[in-house]
Amino acid sequence: MIPLFAIIRIRSKRGRGFQLWVPLFLLWLVLLPFVVLLAPLILLVCLVGQVNPFRAVSVVCQILAGLTNTHIEVDDPNNSIMIRVF
Amino acid sequence: MNENRRQILEMLSAGQINADEAERLITAVEQPAPPTNGSSASAQGKAKYLRVVVDSEENGRDHGPVKVNVRVPMQLLRAGVKLAGLIPAQARDQVNAAMREHGMAFDLSQIKPENLEELVDQLNDLSVDVDVDDADKAKNKVKVKVFCE
Repeated sequence: MIPLFAIIRIRSKRGRGFQLWVPLFLLWLVLLPFVVLLAPLILLVCLVGQVNPFRAVSVVCQILAGLTNTHIEVDDPNNSIMIRVF
Repeated sequence: MNENRRQILEMLSAGQINADEAERLITAVEQPAPPTNGSSASAQGKAKYLRVVVDSEENGRDHGPVKVNVRVPMQLLRAGVKLAGLIPAQARDQVNAAMREHGMAFDLSQIKPENLEELVDQLNDLSVDVDVDDADKAKNKVKVKVFCE
């Protein structure tokens, strides 16, 4: 299943910081018409590159799905950054 | 009653073994068989995540600890390996040449779907521990740990 939300948290040790919830499902909905419009171009690029277009779409979908549960956290003396996709 | 237990009880009734030995034998035959594959990850099931943990005790610039904690789903690695198979032949040659220049003699075309599962499964047993002591800055210690969970 493709990720639906992402959380981006940035904190400063001085006390400032914010946490952002990114509704990825809205992003996918916005991008969907563009993907449909660009489909002929994508098909053309696949044919020129001798790549199976169905396989290419399948792999892209698998990469998107694979992003689910990715967690990145970096702390340094001044800042703390956390990105979580789920 | 299974065949092993019946044999043990017959040996006990025939006086070939005493009660303690019979108990030990029954306990032994009731234990689950050990896994044929020696890997601990296989015994616990497939790993779901690749973890990279970096712990630096002192940062040279800001004089404080730096910690990095990354959790990458194995599914993403699988998809990434499949992506390598989509690289057009011309581009693949360029990538291979660039990798050779940087000391990695690896042919991307060798990554095939049939080898993919085996490749990712081998990561289950991966565990890399790196401890770096900077000789110039005695207090600068970095610990890097890469493992699957």
